[in-house]
Amino acid sequence: MNTSPIIEFKNISKKFGDFFANEEITFSILPNTVHSLIGENGAGKTTLMKILFGIYKQDSGHIYINGNPVSFKNPLDAIMNNIGMVHQHFELIDDFTALENIVLGDEESDYGFLNLNKSRKVLIDIIAKYNLGINLDEKVCNISISEKQKIELLKLLYRKSEILIFDEPTAVLSPIEVEEFFKIIRKFKEEGKTILLITHKLNEIKELSDSVTVLRKGKVVYEVGSDALDISVLSREIVGELETVIDLNIRGDVKSEEPYIELNNIVYKHEKASALNGVNLSVYGGQIYSICGVEGNGQSEIVDLIAGITRKSSGSIQMKYDGISLVPDDRLEKGMVKEFNTGENVLLRNNKSKYISSSKIYDTAKAVVDKYDVRLPALNAPLESLSGGNQQKVIFGREIELDNNIMVFVHPTRGVDINATAYIHKIILEQRNKGKAVLLVTSDLDEALKLSDKIGIIYKGLIGKEFTRNEFDESTDKRNRVLQNIGKAMIGVNSD
Amino acid sequence: MLESIITYSFFMQVFRMFTPYYLGASAATFSERSGVVNIAIEGFMIISAFSYAAITIATQNPYLGLIGGLIIGILFSLFFSLFTIKLKINQIVIGVGFNLLMAGLAKFLMLLFFHSSSNTPGYPHIPRLPFLKSIPMIGDLTGDSIIIFALLLVFISQTVLFKTRFGLRLRSVGENPEAAETLGIKVRLYKSGGVIICGLLASLGGIWLASNQGSFSDGMVAGRGYIAIAAMIIGKWKPMNIFFACLMFAFFESLEIALQISGSGIPSQFVQMLPYLITILVLIGFVGKTKPPAADGIPY
Ligand SMILES: Nc1ncnc2c1ncn2[C@@H]1O[C@H](COP(=O)(O)OP(=O)(O)O)[C@@H](O)[C@H]1O
Ligand SMILES: [Mg+2]
Repeated sequence: MNTSPIIEFKNISKKFGDFFANEEITFSILPNTVHSLIGENGAGKTTLMKILFGIYKQDSGHIYINGNPVSFKNPLDAIMNNIGMVHQHFELIDDFTALENIVLGDEESDYGFLNLNKSRKVLIDIIAKYNLGINLDEKVCNISISEKQKIELLKLLYRKSEILIFDEPTAVLSPIEVEEFFKIIRKFKEEGKTILLITHKLNEIKELSDSVTVLRKGKVVYEVGSDALDISVLSREIVGELETVIDLNIRGDVKSEEPYIELNNIVYKHEKASALNGVNLSVYGGQIYSICGVEGNGQSEIVDLIAGITRKSSGSIQMKYDGISLVPDDRLEKGMVKEFNTGENVLLRNNKSKYISSSKIYDTAKAVVDKYDVRLPALNAPLESLSGGNQQKVIFGREIELDNNIMVFVHPTRGVDINATAYIHKIILEQRNKGKAVLLVTSDLDEALKLSDKIGIIYKGLIGKEFTRNEFDESTDKRNRVLQNIGKAMIGVNSD
Repeated sequence: MLESIITYSFFMQVFRMFTPYYLGASAATFSERSGVVNIAIEGFMIISAFSYAAITIATQNPYLGLIGGLIIGILFSLFFSLFTIKLKINQIVIGVGFNLLMAGLAKFLMLLFFHSSSNTPGYPHIPRLPFLKSIPMIGDLTGDSIIIFALLLVFISQTVLFKTRFGLRLRSVGENPEAAETLGIKVRLYKSGGVIICGLLASLGGIWLASNQGSFSDGMVAGRGYIAIAAMIIGKWKPMNIFFACLMFAFFESLEIALQISGSGIPSQFVQMLPYLITILVLIGFVGKTKPPAADGIPY
């Protein structure tokens, strides 16, 4: 068979300031395939896709679609060429209904007056065909993440896009929702569509892809077809050299007699759907306890209560020690003052005297940067100019140095590159081995499985099921079943 | 005493006072729904009121005054969109600048053309509508085309904002311009649309004031542009709610005038204070937290 590419990238380069986000990228995509684009955070995947979709303009290089050179000035041009994109951060209007979000920009109308019912009819057929059941009249601010994902899919289908770009679509889904999503992708392919899938989860690639392109530091470093696909080769290509290797089995038995954090029957109500309905939770010293679940099931409320950010409405919270170290979920908004530099950010939390001299700021920064292997443009650079992984190392450094006995880490490695992730995992494990009580909140199941002594699954404001390390340890043969049960518990299905 | 104040003519007065408030508040709503904060409603009212006066005096044709006033309004909204949308200058700064500039400009031109710093000579008002003006009792209101338009505007703006393609897109760029852009919507075009409609409606409010007063005087807009913005906030950016908010302000303004005329013991300064006091009370008490469009005021 002699098919010619549907999309070709030729020598695409894009700079932000002096920094090459994409450098001389050349590769092509065959029609009716699933082509995966993988690479670490910051490798340049999203930038390349935004160029293809007309959001950014490349500095040099060309894109060809079906052999013809194209130059999209804006997303409308891309949409006209039957390209659709689901963005890494959903592009939805909270105050609009699902239906309004889907039709926006391609509305059915009579003399300028909206005819939403006409669109609704079209959508009802699409929903039935792809099994994407949602309530079209619900406002987006009231719906779950997986429903938002469905709205994004419906946007593409409504516009009859033939080339579909998905930028890290599964990052926010539970394992079972991921399965559902894969089914839909396969269906798209059966229908002859071309799919560009961006991810950094390797097992997903193996399951779906016809071909894979690996980006590292803005360049194409590896290309392979499904026939020769080898996960271990891929992961090496993604990372280059792995700098930190951690041995997860170094975990002494340092568990304390009494729990450091104890929540009893916590009920917490507020306006939105997610609240707590009688949470019980004990975290001991020398233990890593992970709360896992789909986001919005009460995780943030538990953290806010433990950290004293909100007040409980009923139940009891016992903390054995005063003071906690907290790495919050949103590092830019909650973890730091992003315009401040490293030293200032650390001193915000760890300063005992009233006065701050510039030498003190310098020394503090130097200490954290050296000890926690932070890589930054300059010691006095504002924190926002650091990469996500290095920002997170600064926050970890600050919180660990407080040396509290209770530590709460929320999505500690979200948006952090592989090397920094390994480093942060090492720090977390060290704290446990020092006898600290570590509460980890994550939606990355792999992370929880790697680190935890105990995993609690949260669903609709309740920690329903708990699993201990000997159940999910890599050495046990029940592991697969336990993993399935964890996946089910995350979406509230009873295990067998 | 109250009976003597709240009379038939009092209610007529309320609807007259309502007109510039509602035009100003709808103006601000169209702008803010598209994500551009325009606090220069006052300035737009002043400059178009003056333009109406000057052109009508020069031509003795109030229709030319009306059209001229509206054109000036559009012209200045084009400047406003250039500064806020294209050049992305802080919207509040530009708004304050416009307000100061328009007040000064009107005064300057008044001195230049009419050699007076306080008021212009008299001029004719916009002619009343035939037939409608002779309806018994309410002919004064129904004969005034701008009052009729202001009342119809409640339904027009409701329909445009929520039932048309233009309205959906306009609101989308005020809520989340990035999302709108990814769906191929020309964000700046719609924002400019919102700002231009804003300029038009605010100008019409100014023109009505000028036409009714019969001569332009310095300070005649008297903060109505700001009250209009308060009405929009109390009305939560929704045409129907804003209608009631404007009625409330019009009621208190009419009351103030009635008290002044009746010479009652209540100091008129106290009544003058009421609309502002009410705004604050309404905002903390009844309305609660009001939520503007999500991307309101953020340059794109
Ligand atoms: N708008 C922007 N301005 C400046 N730098 C950017 C911008 N967008 C992306 N970058 C930088 O370009 C690099 C690549 O980013 P991105 O394409 O988002 O990576 P990926 O999607 O592979 O994680 C990162 O270092 C990022 O910080
Ligand atoms: Mg990305």
